Order: sequence, then structure tokens, then C-alpha cells
Amino acid sequence: MIKVDNLTKRFGRHSAVSGASFEAADGEVVGFLGPNGAGKTTTIRILTGFLPATSGTATVDGLDVAEHPLETRRRIGYLPESVPLYRDMRIREYLRFRGHIKGLRGDFLRRRMDEVIDRCGLGDVRRKMIKTLSKGFRQRVGLADALIHDPPLLILDEPTNGLDPNQIRSIRNLVKELGESHTILLSTHILSEVEMICDKIVIIDGGTVLASDTPSNLVSTMRSAGRISIEVKADPERAQEKMNALDQVKKVIHERNRGNWGEFSILVESGTDTRERLANLAREEGWPLRSLHRHAATLEDVFVELTRKD
Amino acid sequence: MGTLLIILRKEFRGFFQSPFGWILLSLITVMQGWSVSSAMKALQDAPIPESLVYIVFHMPQFWFYFLALFPLITMRLFAEEERAGTLETLLTAPVHTAQLVLGKYLATLCFYLVLWIPSFLQFQIFGLLTDLDPPFSTGSLGGVFLLIVLMGSLFIAIGTFASSLTSSQIIAGVITVGLLFIHYFLGYITVIYGDQFPAASLFHHISASEHLRDFSRGLISSSTIIYYLSASAFVLFMTHHALNYRRWKS
Repeated sequence: MIKVDNLTKRFGRHSAVSGASFEAADGEVVGFLGPNGAGKTTTIRILTGFLPATSGTATVDGLDVAEHPLETRRRIGYLPESVPLYRDMRIREYLRFRGHIKGLRGDFLRRRMDEVIDRCGLGDVRRKMIKTLSKGFRQRVGLADALIHDPPLLILDEPTNGLDPNQIRSIRNLVKELGESHTILLSTHILSEVEMICDKIVIIDGGTVLASDTPSNLVSTMRSAGRISIEVKADPERAQEKMNALDQVKKVIHERNRGNWGEFSILVESGTDTRERLANLAREEGWPLRSLHRHAATLEDVFVELTRKD
Repeated sequence: MGTLLIILRKEFRGFFQSPFGWILLSLITVMQGWSVSSAMKALQDAPIPESLVYIVFHMPQFWFYFLALFPLITMRLFAEEERAGTLETLLTAPVHTAQLVLGKYLATLCFYLVLWIPSFLQFQIFGLLTDLDPPFSTGSLGGVFLLIVLMGSLFIAIGTFASSLTSSQIIAGVITVGLLFIHYFLGYITVIYGDQFPAASLFHHISASEHLRDFSRGLISSSTIIYYLSASAFVLFMTHHALNYRRWKS
């Protein structure tokens, strides 16, 4: 559905996007991750035809967005980051206007309006002025607008930005539901959201795509995917030294003491498991062992490792 | 219904959905009404060899509110969309930039024409209330309102252009006022420096006050009509490019 190939966008001497490439297949929900200023919004604006690319191509449904701007825009439902709306319009009035300029007419438009109002949970407020709505409802109005022409592709730029936890939950559930029948490109920096909703993740930073894979693949190929916590009753210095001596252990950190119990974090090489040997070590040394636990890497670890600046 | 008409209708309705449009409508009605009654008093007091229409449009206050009108009705057009971010939703919908520019421009022009309806009716009242022939010819009335439409088409285009340059309505308004004042005073260059230099005829050609003098006497000149229409088209073309350029650079 989306194919971005070697996309570059320069603003004067500053490159917002430099050589980004990724794809989204039909029906996929793709999480578009990156720190602030990574080039997410710029990439999205190129895809939606608001900005032209400096070089490279972006296609939607096989059509180049620069060569067929109107055709590709008809296939995209776009919710911009700031959710711009006309404050002085009522919700139905706004959706009617948006439907009109997207080429919907008459009965069909009325049916679509009822559908999206229902789907986005706007039924109770549909006659209200947009300026009187809370942020959560405005987000829904923006989403209703993105859906009104029933596009196969939804591009949502940080749809849960600035919402309270309940609103985040309801928008997230809505996106999840929509994901069953639409291709979605979901830009966000809330990682739990991505883990819950997305089939695929594209991580972008400094304008380049750093990783593009399923969440589980990303996590399992993480380099730091192997942190072990252990609690033993032992002299901390000796314990640290002994554990450090084991094969495949990269680093032992003495976290804290709780009474006589010492808590250690151990970083091991990826794809290895040192728990058995740690348990053996504790038995040989006669250290009482209270806990031994291997942390699964999270998407957060992946994200931080890929985009950390230091 | 085409996209252009949809945008035109929305913008036109926008003028009347806030007090703004009604305030302007009453302002123009009051100012023009005041001009008509003072003109009638002037005719009563002393014989003047000009028609009522000519005197009304040569009252000292005319250019003040006439030129002040344009920044007020145009500054919002694109600056507000830009500030609120709705330009992004508009231009990511299947809409051509040209449709957007023309839709907004024509909506403002329509609103502007509505503003002059009361003034037009004020001239009809004279004939309705008295049995006398109106103290002006059809040609001068038609001429003056034709010029009002022509000047409106150019000045609204200039305001639309200014609005497309910035996200601040104030700045757009100031640019519009500045350009309109310059345009107006360029027409006075020949009054100050005389006609003895090669470009003098150019300044006569674009002088709004001379146009008003001629048209309100019923002297309708096709070169003036062509001047206003072609200049409007050119400024709208610039607006289209300014909008696209803004998108392209930032």
C-alpha cells in the first residue's frame, strides 16, 4: 500500500529526511516510531502530498504521490498531528464540508456521516460547536474526517498526543478496530501503544530508517537482550568478582543491598543464558540465593538502543 | 457541485456566521448613507455642475473607508488557515491550489458585492420618494458601480495575495493597506510632478482617483476595465504561486 524509496527532504541546508525507505503491505498496521524531530511528520507530509520530496519517491497504492496528487489523496485518510479543525463549525457541518470537498454527495455522504459519527463515538456531541469540545473529542472529529471518504489507507500522526489515559485507551481501541479493515501508518512515540496495535514497526531517527520489522523480531535481535537480576547473600565485592569471571558475562553491576542481601544486574551477550551457571556458582560458593531472573528485552530497549544519542 | 463552488459557499457563509460581516455591512450602509445625505444638502445649498453620484463618491471620507475595507475582508483568508493548520487538511484533501485560491477569492468578491447593495438602493430611494427625475444619469450610476466592482476585484486579489504570505492576519492586513495606499498615491504622481516626464501617461493609466472621476461621470473606458481585470488575474496567479512556494520551502 505504501512504498517509500530513498526519500530525502531538505529545508535549506537542513535535511529533515535523508534516504528513508520502508514499505507497508495492504492491511498492515505499521507503527512509525522515532524521537521528536526524527522526520516522522515530514515523511508523512510527503506521503499525503502536502510537501514535495527533494528526491526519492513515495507511492501509495502503486501511484506516485507527486505525479498523481489527487488520486493518492483520495486513498488516504489523514489525521495531522495538531488536529486542525474549524473552531466555529458544528461537527456535522464540518464533516459535511470535508465530505463535500472529498467528492461525496447526497445520500451517500449522509450515510457516511452517520457511520463515522457512530464509529468515532461522536453521537452525543454531534451538534456541538467544535470550539467547545475537549481535546479527546476533537481528536475523534479529526479521525471521523479522516474516515469519511472510506479510504483504504489511514495515516495518523500521533493520534493520542496530549490525551488523558482514558481517552488514549479509547482512541487506541478505535485504531485497533480500524486496523482490521484498513492499512494504517501510525506515528507515535508511545511504545506500549505500538506493541499493542502494530503488526510492523519502522523506527526512524535523524531522517533515516534504522529498523523495520515486526515487534517480536526487533526485540529478539536486540543486542542488549539479556539482562539478568540476581539476589544473593554474599560479600558484594567477592560476588561481583566471581560472577564477572564467568564466560559470556559482559558486566556485573551491584545495584543495592537489602539487609544482608545483595542485588546485582548482570549483562550477558545476546543469545546466551547464564542463569544455570550463576545458580551453580551460588551453590559452590555457599551463597543463599533468593531470586534469579532474566529480563525480556522490551521495545523500549530497542528504541533507546537505536535512537540514543550518547 | 464542483470543489471550487463548495469552497466558495463555505467561505461566503463564513462572512455571515459571525458578527463581522454584519458589522461591515452596516458600516458601509451608514457611511454611504451619510455621503448621500450630505451630497443632497450640498446640492440644496449651492448649484454644483455635477451629479449626485459624482458628489457622493467624491466626499472626503470615501477613500478612507473604501481602502480600509479590503484588509478587513481579506486578511483572514489564508493567514487564518495557515495559523490554525487547516491549510494542511485542505491541501491534503483532493483539492487543487487553484480551486482553493479562486474559491476564496470569489467568495470574498461576492461578499463585497453584497456590501454595496444597500448603497445602490440608496440611490433608488431618491426616485421612489420624490416624483423628480433622479439628479444623476443611468450612465454615471452604472459607471460608478462598475468601477466599484473592478476596483474590488483587484484590491481583493491584492488582499488575498497578502494573506497568503503570512500566518498573521495583522501582517496580512498591514501589507494590504500598504499596497493599496501605494497604488492610490501612485495616481497622484502626475499631480505632484506634472505631466512633463515620459512615464506620466502610465500613472494616469493606473490612477484610481482619475478612474473614479471618469466613471462617476459615465465615461467608461475599456482600457481601465482591461487594466483592473488583467491586474487581478496576475495577482491571483502570484497568490497561487506564493501558496505553493510556502509549501515547498517549509
